Amino acid sequence: MDEDLIFDPSLKKKKKKKTGFDLDAALAGEQGETTSAEAPAESGDVDVPEDDNLDLDNFGKKKKKKKKTFFNLDELENALPETKDEKPPAEEPEQQEEEMVDDLDLDIDFTRKKKKKKKTIDELVMEDDLKSEDQEKEDDMHGDWVGSDRDYSYDELLERVFDIMREKNPSMVSGKKQKFIMRPPQVVRIGTKKTSFANFTEICKTLHRQPKHLLDFLLAELGTSGSVDGNSQLIIKGRFQQKQIENVLRRYIKEYVTCHTCRSPDTILQKDTRLFFLQCETCGSRCSVASIKSGFQAVTGKRAAMRAKVA
Amino acid sequence: MSIQNLNTFDPFADAIKSSEDDVQDGLVHVRIQQRNGRKTLTTVQGLSSEYDLKKIVRACKKEFACNGTVVEHPEYGEVLQLQGDQRENICQWLTKSGLVKPEQLKVHGF
Ligand SMILES: [Zn+2]
Repeated sequence: MDEDLIFDPSLKKKKKKKTGFDLDAALAGEQGETTSAEAPAESGDVDVPEDDNLDLDNFGKKKKKKKKTFFNLDELENALPETKDEKPPAEEPEQQEEEMVDDLDLDIDFTRKKKKKKKTIDELVMEDDLKSEDQEKEDDMHGDWVGSDRDYSYDELLERVFDIMREKNPSMVSGKKQKFIMRPPQVVRIGTKKTSFANFTEICKTLHRQPKHLLDFLLAELGTSGSVDGNSQLIIKGRFQQKQIENVLRRYIKEYVTCHTCRSPDTILQKDTRLFFLQCETCGSRCSVASIKSGFQAVTGKRAAMRAKVA
Repeated sequence: MSIQNLNTFDPFADAIKSSEDDVQDGLVHVRIQQRNGRKTLTTVQGLSSEYDLKKIVRACKKEFACNGTVVEHPEYGEVLQLQGDQRENICQWLTKSGLVKPEQLKVHGF
């Protein structure tokens, strides 16, 4: 695949034309770019520094600058594996992120284990971008005016204050947002009408939530029925894709796992007089969360059968 | 005189009414349900009973080019049903027409 990309001149052209509009083409181009770093013949228009920046936050940021597009989880991931395999230097930023996992510094993020290494993709990029951008600039700018007589600029002061903030409380203002590294849900279709969510129980454990609670939420959101089978996988009626389940999970985490005040996932869900409360272990806040209701469900089965049952 | 006039108007009438018609939370829930195969169904629950849902459904059917009905539910009141995934459409339409405030909308599903 990669080889095709490199030596196909038409593809290169396409890349140039389409930058900024067609996401797919742009991504294909990106792959071409990174691979061609190894083919000196083409190095004329290669953006070499980008290759070293496999830290995903930066990756996202760079792109944003060029194209002002937001990247969606899947596309990023499609784009990444190729670059990963060729570039060992990628290891460093990765490891940083892995350390963060150990610290249990969490945020909503799904990672893929399949591809040798862990990858974290932050789709709530906005804040992050800004911050990591600061961090980058800070290195070259900070302290320029310290020894001289000239006036400092607003930007310099801003850098300085951010610098101090970061120094004082690394966990809070660190350029990287807290990550919540989680395995993606393994979703497989069973036959034509059912879906298996294989690592359901495992995910409940990661989130420290009762399977029953997550199950209720999933089924209510998807407007369907299902149950956990003997192999502790969840069987859901209807066809669902991993992406869809992931979306629902993300909403669950937002509502029932991360603290509504400080976003720490170190929380306990308590039931108190029919209401659920989310108690945060980090900041101590306690707030009630929406109860799970499946609400109205339309009749979708075979009407004849329904009628027969009633009669 | 003026005090007597005031008596005829109950300032809390609205509050009482709204707390009884939306059985739950004053939100409009937009849900999606799968039917046989890849077909889907969109339901809208929690629209105020002051609105004529039949008229709404008629307008929606035309606007989104899909079929739809109003179903009466003992607990949830009148519920709008539309064929296909009309969640995006219906949310836009409801807010644009001013029937529902954006913050009242709760979209479910994947
Ligand atoms: Zn908290």
